[in-house]
Amino acid sequence: MAQDLYFEDVQVGQAMPSLTKGPVAKLQLVMYAGASGDFNPLHTDDDFAKAVGMPGVIAHGMLIMGFVGQAITDWIPRKNLKKLGVRFAGMTFPGETITVTGAVTDKRKENGSNLITCEVTAADQNGGVKVSGSFVAALPSRG
Amino acid sequence: MADMSKIGKEYPAVIWEVERGKIREMATAIGDSNLIFRDKAAAVKEGYKDTPITPTYLTVPAMGGGNMLTLVGDLGINFAMVLHGEEEYEFLGDIYPGDVITGKCRIVNIEEKTTKKGSKMDLVTTEVLYKNQRGEDVARARTVIVERK
Repeated sequence: MAQDLYFEDVQVGQAMPSLTKGPVAKLQLVMYAGASGDFNPLHTDDDFAKAVGMPGVIAHGMLIMGFVGQAITDWIPRKNLKKLGVRFAGMTFPGETITVTGAVTDKRKENGSNLITCEVTAADQNGGVKVSGSFVAALPSRG
Repeated sequence: MADMSKIGKEYPAVIWEVERGKIREMATAIGDSNLIFRDKAAAVKEGYKDTPITPTYLTVPAMGGGNMLTLVGDLGINFAMVLHGEEEYEFLGDIYPGDVITGKCRIVNIEEKTTKKGSKMDLVTTEVLYKNQRGEDVARARTVIVERK
């Protein structure tokens, strides 16, 4: 779905298109548990989550990283994504809406590749940061 | 706290066959409607050999393949108290349905931290290098898990 994006057309400081996901539903956490194989009941069983000190189930951090991945591959073709790293900064609870934003922080030519680095953040409706990180993509050149 | 002597330990390789249905299931759970993750013809049209893996697909061999549970068991970590600290993927080559990838999990670091609020936690950093059936390096995953105390 992502259109080809050329190195020459990307500038440092440029924002990537934002992506809003959610509200995150408990059913989605069950689906994600099955898809990923992460069956920690902290994500699917409210009683269990309360017993370990949470107000209720929390989303898998990897689901929120998945939202980040979607935001990237909606913008840049999947094949151009070379590296994606995030830090999980906050817990996501059912009912929260997550928006992924980002901006280009660097562009450079390296070993024949045209690389861009972007910072990305996933935050809830109140601006609470859930995930922050960066990714590197190798883009085609018009040259 | 976690056993520091296990820093550097490498676990037996996990062998994982990449399936198209699992890629689609992951995209569906995320709510990602990008057709390249769902339909081979759509992916081929966009220059892929088949449906590529989603950017976070490698959590499947890590969790479903058992690497993470082996690690958690070996370190005596209480899985219920585990939070995910960081995750990083480096994509070194293509991964498509039918590929058989092999990943060896290695403990890179273990450290104890105290939060500003005074609660203690152990941080365990692991790295997995995935190779395909042709012996080519296709991805590297770096994970930090946090055990709340």
